[in-house]
Amino acid sequence: MKDRKVVCRCEDLTEEEIIHAIELGYDDLESLKRFTGATTGPCQGKGCLMHLLRILSQKTGKSVDEIGVTTQRQPVNPVPLYILAAAEKGDGE
Amino acid sequence: MTIKVAVIGGGVAGLSAAYFLAKNGAEVSVFEQKYLLYGASGRNSGGLTAQFRNEALIKLALRSLELYNTLQSEIGFNFLLRRDGYVKIANDEVANVLKDEVEIQKRAGVNVKIVDPDFVKSLFPDINENAFSIASYFADGGVVFPWPVVWGLAKGCKELGVKVYDYTPVSVEVKGNEVVGVRVDDELHRADYVINAAGAWSNEISRQAGVELNNKIFKEEICVTESLKPYLDPYILDVSTNVYISQSMRGEIVGGILGNETNNINVKSSLDFLTKYAKRVVELVPKLRGMSILRQWAGVYDLGRDGLPVIGPTKVKGFIQLNGFGRNGMSTAPAAGEALAEYILKGKSKILEYFKP
Repeated sequence: MKDRKVVCRCEDLTEEEIIHAIELGYDDLESLKRFTGATTGPCQGKGCLMHLLRILSQKTGKSVDEIGVTTQRQPVNPVPLYILAAAEKGDGE
Repeated sequence: MTIKVAVIGGGVAGLSAAYFLAKNGAEVSVFEQKYLLYGASGRNSGGLTAQFRNEALIKLALRSLELYNTLQSEIGFNFLLRRDGYVKIANDEVANVLKDEVEIQKRAGVNVKIVDPDFVKSLFPDINENAFSIASYFADGGVVFPWPVVWGLAKGCKELGVKVYDYTPVSVEVKGNEVVGVRVDDELHRADYVINAAGAWSNEISRQAGVELNNKIFKEEICVTESLKPYLDPYILDVSTNVYISQSMRGEIVGGILGNETNNINVKSSLDFLTKYAKRVVELVPKLRGMSILRQWAGVYDLGRDGLPVIGPTKVKGFIQLNGFGRNGMSTAPAAGEALAEYILKGKSKILEYFKP
C-alpha cells in the first residue's frame, strides 16, 4: 500500500494509472484528463493538475509550457442549485 | 484498386464513416484539427433517441441504436450505454406538438407512447408531477457516454488500419471539378474522396472546396452536479423550457438547455445559462436543490438548412458532405457513417436519398 501514490483524490487515481493511460496513447493533457477523469472531480483540478503535468512531462519529455493547461471550468468552487436558482439575473450575455 | 478516403473531423460521424469504410476495404485517414472530443461529440450529454418528426431521420436513429449495441462488442470497448428510456415532457401549450410527433414516430416503427405525469413519476420518483402535464416515452432510448464512443470508434478504426491524426488541421484541395485530397501544412495527402465531417466547422471546410453549404451554427451549454448514487434512469427533456437532465454512469446529474443559433463559433460558458437551468431543475426535481454544480461548459454544432443532416456527394467530384446533424449526432451519426460507406463503396444507399446536399 505504501507504494500506491494517489495523485487525484476525487477520482481515486494513482500515478501508475496515469502512466498506464499515457502508455495507451492518451498522451496529451486534454485526452489524459478525459480518459482518466483527473481534474473533472469536485476539486476541479486544484489538487491533481500539477501532478498530471509533472507525470506527462516526465513520460513524454515535453516541457510543462509545451503541454499547456486545460480549460478552467466554471464555477471555481461548487455552487448549490438553490443559490443559482435564487439569482435575479445572470451575466447578461 | 483500393479506394483512398480522407475524413475531416474525428467526431462520431467522421469516425463511424471511417470505421465502416475501412471494414469494407477502403484506405482511410482521419484528420482532427484539435484533440478527439474537442467538437460536439465530446461536449454533448449523450442522449439517444428516435423521437423525431422525419421518418428517414428516425430510421437512422433506430439503426444507430442497434449499432451502439453491436459496435461495443465488435470493437471491444465499453460505451457505458444505458437504454433506460428517453422521456420528453411538456406543458399544455405544447401538448399537441408532442401528440402529433408521437403519431409520426409510431408510423415509422418507434416504440413510443404518450404517458401521463404519474407514469413518469413511476420511472423517476423524485420528479415533480405538477411541473408538466404530458409526456412521450421511448422505452428503447437512453444515454451513452460520448467519450468512450469516440475513443472506441478510434480504436476500432486504428485496428482496421485507419490512420487517425489529432492536432492536424487540413484544407481541401480541388483541381478543376475534382477533389485531389487534403493539404496538411505543405504536404498534399491524396484521396479519391474527402468527407467533410467537421461539425460546426463544416461550412468553412466546404467553402475550401468551393461548395456552398450554409449549415446553421448553434451553441449549447451544459453543466454537471457532484455525483449521486445512480437513481435517475431515463433521459428527460422538457420541450416546454428546453431544459434536459440525465445521470451519467459516474453519478453526476448532467443537464443543459437546447442550443441557440449563433453567428460565430465560441464555447464560452455563461452564468445566465446556469441560473436559468437551476430555476427549472429545482422546479422539476425539488430534491436536487441542495446539489452543487461542479462544472459547466459549452459546445457548438451545425444543423442542415432543412433541419436535417447533409449527407452525400456535391458538385465537386469526390467531395462528400457528412454534417449538419444538429444536436442529434450521437443519436443518428453511426448509421449515417455506415450508410455513407455503403454509398462510397457500392455506389448507392437508399436512406441517404433523403439527406442529399
